[in-house]
Amino acid sequence: MKVLELKNVNKIYDGSEVHVHAVNNVTLEFQEAEFAAIVGPSGSGKTTLLNLIGGLDMPTSGKIIIDGSDLSGLKSSQLIDFRMRNIGFVFQAYNLIPVLTAKENVEFIMNLQKWSRKERDERTFELLKAVGLGDRMNSRPSKLSGGQQQRVAVARALASRPKFVLADEPTANLDSKSATTLLEIMEKLNHEEKITFIFSTHDARVVKMAHRVITLEDGSVVSDDIRE
Amino acid sequence: MSNYKIAWRNLWRNKRRTLITVASVFFAIFFALIMRSLQLGTYDHMFRNAIESYTGYLQIQHEDFWDNKIVDNTFSYTPELDQAIMSLENVTGTVPRFESFALASSGALTKGVLVMGVDPEKESLLSDIRGKLVKYKLNDNNIEALKNSEIPQETKKNLEIFRGNSYSSNSSLAIDFNIPDKDSSSILEIFRKYASFRNGYIKSGEPGVLIGDKLALYLKAGIGDTIVLLGQGYHGTTAAGKYRINGIVKLPAPDLDNKIVYLPYDVCQELYDAPGMLTSLAISIRENGDKKINSMIPEIRSKLDPQLKVMGWQEMNKLMINQMDADSKSGMIMIFILYLVIAFGVFGTVLMMTAERRREFGVLVAIGMQKSKLATVVTLEMILMGILGIASGIIAALPVIFYGYSHPIRFHGEMAKMYEDYGMEAIMPFLLPDMYILWQAIVVAIIVLIALVYPLRKITKMQVVDSLKA
Repeated sequence: MKVLELKNVNKIYDGSEVHVHAVNNVTLEFQEAEFAAIVGPSGSGKTTLLNLIGGLDMPTSGKIIIDGSDLSGLKSSQLIDFRMRNIGFVFQAYNLIPVLTAKENVEFIMNLQKWSRKERDERTFELLKAVGLGDRMNSRPSKLSGGQQQRVAVARALASRPKFVLADEPTANLDSKSATTLLEIMEKLNHEEKITFIFSTHDARVVKMAHRVITLEDGSVVSDDIRE
Repeated sequence: MSNYKIAWRNLWRNKRRTLITVASVFFAIFFALIMRSLQLGTYDHMFRNAIESYTGYLQIQHEDFWDNKIVDNTFSYTPELDQAIMSLENVTGTVPRFESFALASSGALTKGVLVMGVDPEKESLLSDIRGKLVKYKLNDNNIEALKNSEIPQETKKNLEIFRGNSYSSNSSLAIDFNIPDKDSSSILEIFRKYASFRNGYIKSGEPGVLIGDKLALYLKAGIGDTIVLLGQGYHGTTAAGKYRINGIVKLPAPDLDNKIVYLPYDVCQELYDAPGMLTSLAISIRENGDKKINSMIPEIRSKLDPQLKVMGWQEMNKLMINQMDADSKSGMIMIFILYLVIAFGVFGTVLMMTAERRREFGVLVAIGMQKSKLATVVTLEMILMGILGIASGIIAALPVIFYGYSHPIRFHGEMAKMYEDYGMEAIMPFLLPDMYILWQAIVVAIIVLIALVYPLRKITKMQVVDSLKA
């Protein structure tokens, strides 16, 4: 089932001194439960493309359709609400809420969606257990290692069962062992939860595990390899 | 997780920053309350002195008397008038007065004085002259005797400072000499033994006067001495009489203390050749709030002859009110400057907080928190900091205010003289907690809310992508 579609998407930064075509006429489709990596050299437009897919930025032209809804037709507050319900985010620098515990961080989106306490508790426990942090539920981010924080971030991204998860360089700040553990967890959750994962990455391990690799150069898609 | 809980935890993620902001608000409210309490307490004290020693809250006068205080502008004091006033609700009594000016002489010394004919018994409804009779006098002989007495050394040290002073109450003596409550009875007993002052009083129909302590000092007159009063009587007659000094009173208003001569009003009518006449009929009332007084004025006026008028204390003390008003404004400017400094302090920390958390704000909105909800959390943080600062400031200021109320600041020496030269008692009491506490709290709360505009604007205008790069 198609969860995300990009049609002739362009993003142009037109400053007074520089004119950058960051995303150039990109057309892509993503299916349910894909595990896709967007790769390319620095400045190729990976993060910009991810921001556009996540509704954090608006394309200069083209359409981004998620589950049948065109993002460009949404008002700012509708867009925030749309992101909350349909998209999970994993950032390079984890970006957990420092004053909340691991459990509260994972619950955060469910809270915003007004889930019942029982549902929240069950889902939080299930996810933190799945990422191997069932025993660190009440730890604040400052008491967790980088790898553990990123696992909490993955659990948070999946909490409200989004259509897909966008992960911008999720392993960039992690050591090799932590990165491998994280990738294994994400792949397992991708299988179990049937949620699409889209990464932007430089990391060869991520590329190796990905079922689909999209390569960008100068904002354009130069290859789109789907592996069996 | 409620907004409140997140806001509360956010406060303590950077304890130092929060404590600096709370401390700014704390000091603003603390100093503003102390300054305002002291200022308003001083005004209140001066008004009370003026009202309770002289004008009262309400007076009936001949319509021309206030502008031209001559004996010809008097009115007839009849039982019917008295009954009409007494029949009004909130009136507890009428206090007849006959007031004029005269020259007072004792020996070779002469001074212009305010002659106040009063009903010796009824006057207690208003100015309690009996309570103002001097109880202790620290003249040279008494001081020597006290120095050789068994009073504590600490108390003895103060004797030189207060040489020549008179006291009409145990409490004012105890305040000046820092006499602790636990020792007060034994020490006051010694003062009673060596420095008590024997006073008499005045009685209706009997010639005799009470004079102010400062006037007695000027005229070098004491109990049993005679003073001669010379003035202009009713319709140009000469008013002259000599009277025995029965007592000396210590009035809190130095200006009055320096010129007051009390005598029974019937004796005064005789002196000025105006039998049955009064210059004013002061009205003693139960409830003395401004609203009540203002509502009584037209009611009383309706009972009076057209040539009489009713005056409230504000009208009678207009000059003092204007002076206080001007002084109050200067005090408010000081408080405004204090607030301005504090406002910049608060704004500085808010600015830092906003810059530090820009990325966090971006993440929260990216993952689905509405900007309005984020703004609510930040608003709650500021409100909590404001409440902490305001509440702690009020709690810290209250004991100081209560202490300052029961132990007013008294000036001595040159400072005291300066105050008295301006006709003010050299004392600065605090005003007990009143609406001014609420007003200061509101002003500080507004400052905190104004400082909030910056982060709220930043949140509203935030571009998530830019914030994530911060």
